Amino acid sequence: MKKKLIIILALTLAVLLAIMWLVHTISHTELTVDADQQIDVTPEQITSIKAIGEWEFLSIANEELVDTVRKGLLSDDHLVRVYYGTLRLGVNMHQVEPGWIKTEGDSVTVTLPNITLLDRDFIDEARTKSFFENGRWKPKDREALYKKAYRQMLERCLTPENKQRARENGEAQFRRMMKALGYNHVAIRWQETNNRNE
Amino acid sequence: MLVFCSSCGSGKSEEVTTEETSQERPSLVTQVRQCARLYTTEYRIHKIITHDDVLRLKGSLLSQNINIPLPLGDRKVAIPMDATLKAYIDFSNFSEADIERDDNHITILLPDPKVVMTSSKINQKEVREYVGLTRSHFTDRELTAYEQQGRQAILNSIPQLGILDQAQANAARVLVPMLTEMGYQEENITIAFRKNLDISRLIDIKLGR
Repeated sequence: MKKKLIIILALTLAVLLAIMWLVHTISHTELTVDADQQIDVTPEQITSIKAIGEWEFLSIANEELVDTVRKGLLSDDHLVRVYYGTLRLGVNMHQVEPGWIKTEGDSVTVTLPNITLLDRDFIDEARTKSFFENGRWKPKDREALYKKAYRQMLERCLTPENKQRARENGEAQFRRMMKALGYNHVAIRWQETNNRNE
Repeated sequence: MLVFCSSCGSGKSEEVTTEETSQERPSLVTQVRQCARLYTTEYRIHKIITHDDVLRLKGSLLSQNINIPLPLGDRKVAIPMDATLKAYIDFSNFSEADIERDDNHITILLPDPKVVMTSSKINQKEVREYVGLTRSHFTDRELTAYEQQGRQAILNSIPQLGILDQAQANAARVLVPMLTEMGYQEENITIAFRKNLDISRLIDIKLGR
């Protein structure tokens, strides 16, 4: 009788230990399904190096919210993105004409090229934020959105008012620089040429 | 019939008559800033952003760490991009104190050049995606996140590009002809820069971010 009791106690203890081990194991089991979100390490390749001489007098940083809608039978697909770009207005020193600076005593006359958009590529597309998406969109749809954002930024920022502001600031900056160089009388003139960037 | 309707309504509208429309929305922010920057050097950079998105079962089971790739759960994307970096000298604080004259000799002390990413372009035509059977396509949010990482990788590579040395040399190429037009002899012109540049301070992350 005593032997039976010992066996029952031992079995009960073994079952309890097994249950405790199982509970411990299950409580410490963590399983997740996920994927790494980091890009791979790939090289950066320099495709060109260019010496330039561009004076920037006005920069216009712009954020443009652009969207497209594709109509379906029962529901519409939407894609909304925020594009970032900076339009830089100024003068390209490669367009100055010979004799663009004339000095006489403490007087100087500077003839600058017309104010232009210094770089036609002004959208930082890799900064773009995805605002809303439903439905599946292809690269050509994103390209169309980019072009739309480009047109809107040009229309919004490349205005006669902004060109005038860039021109006034350009005059002020060159006047200040020439005075620092020791010229008391500074005259700023602008070339009267048709510019492709205008 | 229900299945047919739900598949039409789940966004696969390319199979039905589609109509592209768009709505005009206002821009969010426009910031206009007057400045006096002389851009002297332009680098064009090409990079192919790649992402290998393997779905994995991770965790611990019976006190053993596991990390098992799931079958048919692979996704890959390759995004070619081009970026333009420009180095500039900021003349907004330029003054008489930065000029030294000694007889016919003139020395101009310039501030350190800085670098900014002025544009980037994703080559959408060349983007390639490979998606496993059990996976969904890359979302627009995922793609833009990879593009932002690629952009940051280009900014991080600037110290290795040597763009600041080029910027200093090219600044002289712009300013020396200007000073010779004013009557200075080329041999009497010195364009000087500060030394011991800390390039990490010179990447214009404010505009370049």
